[in-house]
Amino acid sequence: MSVFLTDLLTFFQTYGYPALWASVFISALGAPLPVGLALLAAGAFAALGDFNIYLLVLITVTASMAGDNLGYLIGRKWGSRVLSWLERSSIGASILPTGAVERSRVYFKRRGRWAVFLSRFLVAVLGGIINLVAGSELYPYRAFLVYDFAGETLSAVLPLTLGLAFGTSWEEVGNVLGAFSFFIIAVIIAGMLFSRLLRYLRSAKYKEEQKTGAQVIPGITPVIDPHATSSGPLPLS
Amino acid sequence: LKLFLTGFLLCIALGGAVFCAIQTVQAFQSFQANRTLALSGDVRTIRPWMTIPYIAHFYHVPESYLDEQLHITDLQSQRRTSLHALALRYNRPIGNVIHDVQQAILSYRKQHATLLLHPISTQRATAPPASSRRKTA
Repeated sequence: MSVFLTDLLTFFQTYGYPALWASVFISALGAPLPVGLALLAAGAFAALGDFNIYLLVLITVTASMAGDNLGYLIGRKWGSRVLSWLERSSIGASILPTGAVERSRVYFKRRGRWAVFLSRFLVAVLGGIINLVAGSELYPYRAFLVYDFAGETLSAVLPLTLGLAFGTSWEEVGNVLGAFSFFIIAVIIAGMLFSRLLRYLRSAKYKEEQKTGAQVIPGITPVIDPHATSSGPLPLS
Repeated sequence: LKLFLTGFLLCIALGGAVFCAIQTVQAFQSFQANRTLALSGDVRTIRPWMTIPYIAHFYHVPESYLDEQLHITDLQSQRRTSLHALALRYNRPIGNVIHDVQQAILSYRKQHATLLLHPISTQRATAPPASSRRKTA
């Protein structure tokens, strides 16, 4: 166990619930604190009767949601202004392609719920950044609140219950959860890359078919627009 | 180039997934081994984050006995103090503190086992058998 985690646990054991609230809140803002492991330990202490498990769940959920909402608010207030400025200014035009901000906004609106939900417990390190991005991309607040609450409840209940159930072995449980979440992330990335690879292969096959189907006139190189979509067979005859 | 790059990244991701799967299995095996030791009350499972009341509860040793063995005087303020914090407070290496706790538990178990055996043997030695009691009556 790292010295940092031991210090965090000592802080938590000495000052009780307020210390846990503060740690979870700071972590939700994006600070890299090992709060997941601290919650497993808190569950183990609750087994002894030092803490009330229901109160621990309540404190963890409220603290993490407060931190997340503050991150979202900062993103919405200042992050969206930065994005709008980037969209309009000449510096932004040289860095970003035209309409990139609007496209990312539409994309986040479509897929943001998964980003918000999964970053609460599966990729907790990205939680703080996702809050800022969600605010900057003007993601609907009500939807953010719903997915944030669902994710944070799961991220609080899971480690606290496991800590309560396995007591002294919570460190090993933490190792299993850590390795398993990395495995899930790797599988998700592999799945995304595989679907992209399939798309590229299909596109390449289509281009090949177009190439072989087109009439080749000697001396003229056929030009194929890579962005063009299929509009049926070419009028060759 | 895009196709090649995506294929290359996919290979890395698949390799990473296999590596993480192996790590998960190993972590689970380690958890099982630790759980077995913890359930049997093995003192090797004592960790720096544990407090004296926690150790007393899970290793079935009286709290006062551990306090006495570790020479802890201020009991109230140290109820929620971990072994790590105790080591810092008494300016001792954490390994030594854990070792002392382990020794205290083992010696308590040794004493407790002899105390369990002792009353039975003394009872047998002092109390006369039921048949002889009947005879004397």
